[in-house]
Amino acid sequence: MSALATLETGLLLGLYALLAGIWGVLWALAQLRPMPIVARAAVAAYGLHVLAALIIVSWTPLGFGWKCLIVGSSLAFLVIPPITWRLLRRTHDKERSEHDREPSQHSRRLVARL
Amino acid sequence: MYRSQTLALKYFSAAITFFGVMTLTGLLSSYYYINPDFLFGILPFNIMKILHINTLVIWLLMGFMGSIYWFLPGELGRETAGIRAAEMLFYVFCAAVAAVAVVFIFVQYGGSNEAALWLINQGRKYVEAPRWAALGIVVIMVVFAYNVIGTAIAARKTTGIIMVLMIDLIPLILLYLIAFPAIINMSSDLFWWWWLVHLWVEATWEVLIGCIMALALMQLLGTSRRIVEAWLYIEVALVLGTGILGLGHHYFWIGTPGYWLTIGGFFSALEPLPLLGMVVHAVYDAGAQHMKTTNRPALYWMMAEAFGNFIGAGVWGFMITLPQVNLYAHGTQWTVSHGHFAFWGAYACGIISVLYLVLQRTRNLAVVESHLWKWSFAALNLALVGMTGALLVAGFVQAFVERAIGGSTLEAFISGQENAWFVDGMVARFLLAVVFTAGYVVLVWDVVTLGRRAPVIAAVSPAQ
Repeated sequence: MSALATLETGLLLGLYALLAGIWGVLWALAQLRPMPIVARAAVAAYGLHVLAALIIVSWTPLGFGWKCLIVGSSLAFLVIPPITWRLLRRTHDKERSEHDREPSQHSRRLVARL
Repeated sequence: MYRSQTLALKYFSAAITFFGVMTLTGLLSSYYYINPDFLFGILPFNIMKILHINTLVIWLLMGFMGSIYWFLPGELGRETAGIRAAEMLFYVFCAAVAAVAVVFIFVQYGGSNEAALWLINQGRKYVEAPRWAALGIVVIMVVFAYNVIGTAIAARKTTGIIMVLMIDLIPLILLYLIAFPAIINMSSDLFWWWWLVHLWVEATWEVLIGCIMALALMQLLGTSRRIVEAWLYIEVALVLGTGILGLGHHYFWIGTPGYWLTIGGFFSALEPLPLLGMVVHAVYDAGAQHMKTTNRPALYWMMAEAFGNFIGAGVWGFMITLPQVNLYAHGTQWTVSHGHFAFWGAYACGIISVLYLVLQRTRNLAVVESHLWKWSFAALNLALVGMTGALLVAGFVQAFVERAIGGSTLEAFISGQENAWFVDGMVARFLLAVVFTAGYVVLVWDVVTLGRRAPVIAAVSPAQ
């Protein structure tokens, strides 16, 4: 790896991970506030992340295995925010519905006791 | 208030004090880079750096212990078992740290003999404390583990979080035993030493802070136990899954077999994935509460923890974790930049968040609000980001000029140190360290005076 390639690769890897983070945050924000601009910004961030991945794959002197890892990570970064969000929603909804059920069960028991 | 919670307050006071010592020694250490003659013949750079790094470890450890002593009685509904021993050992802990600091400052180093290992310095980075003090830390950690496990046994109950915590305390203690060097071969020594440093920081401490944040979330946002515990299990599994074999990224270039390059690079490259999940989780929690809480400093510091962990450990770590880049970046200011950001994000922010939660309870504040916390939050975080940026630039110069072009010769080292970008980076780091110190002073002032200035609308129920 040449001297310049060291710096370029390191910076690109950092940018790659940072853009994945920005994508995740913007995607989550878009779920909270359904504003089209936030959703578009999230897509743009992921687009830039893919661009960074493409540059890493095509221009840097990393080996084939590492490039496969970069591609695989990009796919994982794409699905992590929606999967995490769905799991969070599911656990919170489940908890809420059980919580809502509690008073009725309580009152049923109370009625039975009376 | 339980005696355990009173002890927690003492631990937090000590932690904040040692945070100050760490900040001051860090500030002075950064000045050596600008003026290498600073304190010449009085206190060499390496001693200042030892003080900086060791107080980092100590204040975080004390912050963790304070957090656990605070939450434990409420979680298990009884006083902490063996509290008298814990109270006594707190003073022993503080006195031992002070004694070690005095030896480091005034004695500095000894001869190549057993006596120096026992009384002055064990000579291993991060765990330089002399052997008597290291033994003391083992005793303190054993008693701490007894406090947690004994309380659960005495209460005849446990929770998912406490269960994870109890399991975590076992490797926490066992790994520290590696702090006692007995290996002459340097490669073998480094191989095991990294078990201590990496597996403490990127495994057992991650689990510890995960448990603490889970307990804090329930108190801060009223998140249900089931949700918090489910996520604790998932996140701990993911962090351990990538973090344990991520150990391999420390095995580059220390004489270990070549396959560690692949294992270390692969698993540590996976580390940002769970961290992104945590960031999404933080956004979800903040959004569910509409950023409304009675304790905004605690919430903001908790958010800073999630984001700082991702950026510091995830992004900064990802830059240097693949062996091809690490060959040049290893041990440069680039790594230092990553270390500062990761420790700050992963641990320091979390402990400050818990501190504000504790203050709300102890001072009966219905709402925690002040201008000072915003100033300290901004100053500390912006200075930290600036410092890591400056170190990153300096690290680029080292990797580029000294390593990649110069081939790591002495001449290349000198030309790297004299490079204008390196020098400017170090000056910028020093100036930002001054801002960080100012942020610390504001934080302490806020913490000390919080109850007296903040609007007290109604008293909350006393700590359980």
